[in-house]
Amino acid sequence: MSLLAPLFLLGLAGLAIPVLVHLTERQRRNVIEFPSLMFLRRIPFRSTQRRKIHHWFLLAIRALALALLVVAFARPFFQDAEVVIGSTLGPREIVVVVDRSYSMGLGDRWERAKEAASGVLQSLDPSDRASLVFLGRGADAVLRSSSDRQRLLTAIDTAAVSDEVTRYGPALKLAQTIVEESELPNREVVIVSDYQRSGWSGDEGVTFPAGTVVTPIQISDDVVANSTVTSVALRRDFFSGRERMTATARVTQRQGVEAIQQRIVLELDGQEVQSQMVNLDPTGSATVTFEPFTLGEAYTRGAIRLAGDALPQDDQLHFVLSPGRALRALIFEGGNARPDASLYIQRALEISEESSFQVEIRRSTSISEADLQAAAVIVLNDIRFPQGATSERLRRFVEGGGGLLMVLGERSAWQGGLEDLLPGRFGAAQDHTRRAARLGFLDYTHPVFELFGGPRGGDFARARFFRSRALTVGPEGRVLARFDDGSVALAERRLGEGHVLVWASTMDSFWNDLAVQPVFLPFIHQLVRHLGGERERVPWFTAGQVIDIADPDGMALVIDRESELADDLEQVAITPGGGSITLPVTGGSRFLELREQGFYEVRPPGSNPDRAFSVAVNVDVAESDLDIMDPTEFAGAVAPRETSTDLGANGLATPEVRARDQERRQALWRFLIAGALILLLTETAASNWLSRTAAKRFDGGREYAALNT
Amino acid sequence: MAVQERTAFSGSSAQFLDPVVLSRINNLELLARTVVDGFLQGLHRSPHLGLSLDFAEHRAYMPGDDIRRVDWRLFARTDRFYVKQFEAETSANFMVVVDVSKSMSFGSHSATKLDYARFLGAALAYFSQKQRDRVGLVTFDHEIVQYVPPSTRHLDLVLHTLARAEPGRPGALRDPLLRVGETLNHRGIILLLSDFYEEAEEVIESVRHLRSRGHDVIVFHILDPEELEFTYDSPASFQDLESETMIPVVPAELADDYRTLIRQHTDELSRLFTGSQIDYTVLDTSKPLDYALFSYLSRREKLTRVR
Repeated sequence: MSLLAPLFLLGLAGLAIPVLVHLTERQRRNVIEFPSLMFLRRIPFRSTQRRKIHHWFLLAIRALALALLVVAFARPFFQDAEVVIGSTLGPREIVVVVDRSYSMGLGDRWERAKEAASGVLQSLDPSDRASLVFLGRGADAVLRSSSDRQRLLTAIDTAAVSDEVTRYGPALKLAQTIVEESELPNREVVIVSDYQRSGWSGDEGVTFPAGTVVTPIQISDDVVANSTVTSVALRRDFFSGRERMTATARVTQRQGVEAIQQRIVLELDGQEVQSQMVNLDPTGSATVTFEPFTLGEAYTRGAIRLAGDALPQDDQLHFVLSPGRALRALIFEGGNARPDASLYIQRALEISEESSFQVEIRRSTSISEADLQAAAVIVLNDIRFPQGATSERLRRFVEGGGGLLMVLGERSAWQGGLEDLLPGRFGAAQDHTRRAARLGFLDYTHPVFELFGGPRGGDFARARFFRSRALTVGPEGRVLARFDDGSVALAERRLGEGHVLVWASTMDSFWNDLAVQPVFLPFIHQLVRHLGGERERVPWFTAGQVIDIADPDGMALVIDRESELADDLEQVAITPGGGSITLPVTGGSRFLELREQGFYEVRPPGSNPDRAFSVAVNVDVAESDLDIMDPTEFAGAVAPRETSTDLGANGLATPEVRARDQERRQALWRFLIAGALILLLTETAASNWLSRTAAKRFDGGREYAALNT
Repeated sequence: MAVQERTAFSGSSAQFLDPVVLSRINNLELLARTVVDGFLQGLHRSPHLGLSLDFAEHRAYMPGDDIRRVDWRLFARTDRFYVKQFEAETSANFMVVVDVSKSMSFGSHSATKLDYARFLGAALAYFSQKQRDRVGLVTFDHEIVQYVPPSTRHLDLVLHTLARAEPGRPGALRDPLLRVGETLNHRGIILLLSDFYEEAEEVIESVRHLRSRGHDVIVFHILDPEELEFTYDSPASFQDLESETMIPVVPAELADDYRTLIRQHTDELSRLFTGSQIDYTVLDTSKPLDYALFSYLSRREKLTRVR
């Protein structure tokens, strides 16, 4: 039997209290002055009885209850031989979490981390089990609850630093699961990391089960200066009919001690095309804008590189570009339309920094197959919907991915068959003469209005609508905008791969004044882009992300339409390091995990096209912040309550920690407290009984017995 | 008789006899005058506003009567011998003897036993002064503390001494009362105010020699209501005011026995004092002073009969 807090035994001196109370006449404090005790003394009463202990039984109960309380506070526990062996050499469940984010590649951190992890693994006993979890953007359990020390050592020896960012949450959650599932009596988690503050938000919700010993091992040097290419903005424009790209890079330096000047380079397809010198404050950032360059073919691989420093991974930023594709919109307005019926739409689409729209107006209602093949978006501006073959061609156009916008005006007329094509049935024109209608509801979750959802995102409410067509949306339609009187202003229906939108008023200044509002231009741009199926393409991904190459549009991959990834061909992904990942035909998703920094190239096996489909991968620049946190603070955040941590590098808890662990698991103090309470209850009952007995005896006039022992 | 002729007080007069009210009056002379005048005004008739030679009544002649007191005129009319009885004509010594031992400081309400004794002593001294008596005072505990010799001019001194009397030491009756008896050469009236915390035989032994010296002794046994009823409820240590010894007491268990003992004590004192021709009255300090005053007047009336 050992005690965790033996000093509490001094409380046993309190055992003398009941005796002293008896001997010092406890009721002395409650004193009543009386003229004379002459008569009170005559009453049969032996005051000396208070100085005697009459009920040794009660005294013993009280003393024992007090002793139990004192011993409980001293936190006793059994430390027999079996437990001792078990706690020091017995079976343990050890989870070794090793940080292999790219910041661990700084200096010799990685070697030291492997050495520390190997030290822990070599201390394993045959009865111990260990898990090796690598920590990065996610968690990678290389070996789980294994007693094969050699395999564990080999796994740690062959491991390499990744290009991923530090995220403590997933790995610690995995470690928590392992120790929770373990039935071994001793559980330990050893975390080998540089403890970057950026990887820990504090709300990961990781708390190891009671009894788990958390041992942080910090592998870090002094804080070093680190410069980083944090981002690059790529802006398209057209100059002399040719598309040009302007790259603007943002460079930062953290933890620097002096201002530096560095050379920054723009590379295209592996060739350095431009370079500049950039001045960086000790802790500051700078922006570098390169001269515009022309995009010629699909999949132009670009990179921004800084002169290398101690952490080279964040000194470069890769991207993939393809020539922009102008969306072609055909507007049909009928032969008798007003001259300016489509003027506002045309002008709005022609005004674009990126010149991504080509607009053509047809004053007829005949739509040929060639028109549809050349157009991405068809706008029927206040005309009767085409009948017969034209209607069928439009249906196929939409189902094939095209976009159709029907603008309702005076000449629009409902006809049979449209219910299968349009989102709803439109009716007669209705005037908002008493009060002009305004747009009261916009579905900001829809791509058309998503742009306007933020603060100062555009004020549609300023537009006044004097007339509109009644529009009743069917079950397959979706209302995107309503007037403030509840009537539908814009509705959508998805048809095959494409979309059909119906606008219930005109797109000129005749029925409303939306066309002269500032939001009109971006609204039309968003409308046509949505109908044309265009999304903002992602020029690069972050290491650790997973993409589905079977859904390039969904992933917003930079992809050239002419070189789409064939779904029916097996593909192989060539990693930046030269490895290959086979992507077989699955008929569904084909996921590719982007682990390495650089360019992934996806092509059919055996082929070697000049410009294959490429994906650029960069490291997460959050890792560039090398500021570290206190491992003790970190361990305290994840450790179970009342569990102390040992900062020793051997990964073993100290005897004090083990003693506390044993005491907590045995929890003998609870039994002692319960025993003390039972004794006190017994004492209460017994003393009440004795008091009543004494009172009865006194009433009999024979003897007065003191109520208290 | 005077006592039998007592009628109810008016409310305004009665309240001046309440010890609680009297305890608020600091001036003892004012207090005495208030008590006595208020008390007397409440009576319909007082036979004591004495003219010392006023005729009282006739009584049939008895052998041994002074022949000089035979009313010869009445004999002439009736042919029978009657003697005249007159009110007292001589001034007497009126000594107030007050116990100022520590036990007299006890009081369960606003007036302690000593306060009550002070009120009573002052009132009766004032009253006696109005009767042309010579007034004196003795305060004592286990010895005589203050002595004011009897004199017709000592009322102020008596009242002043009474007002300054402070309880402080343990008391005993025997020695101080022996000294009082030795000091008073002339017979007179002795008013003894005490709580008598001694055995009844010892008390009577101490007081009896005063009576044997020819003094008329009136004894007021002053007790607090708590001493009589013992209404304490919670267990506590009771401390003797004089000896300061303490004993633990559970009132619920002892109250009945205590009340029995105190009653036995007062009964025994009453029996012994009566046997010694000493007037004895137990006074509850929570009760008005009128009872004490009537007791005194009753006794005084008897004393003024001159046969």
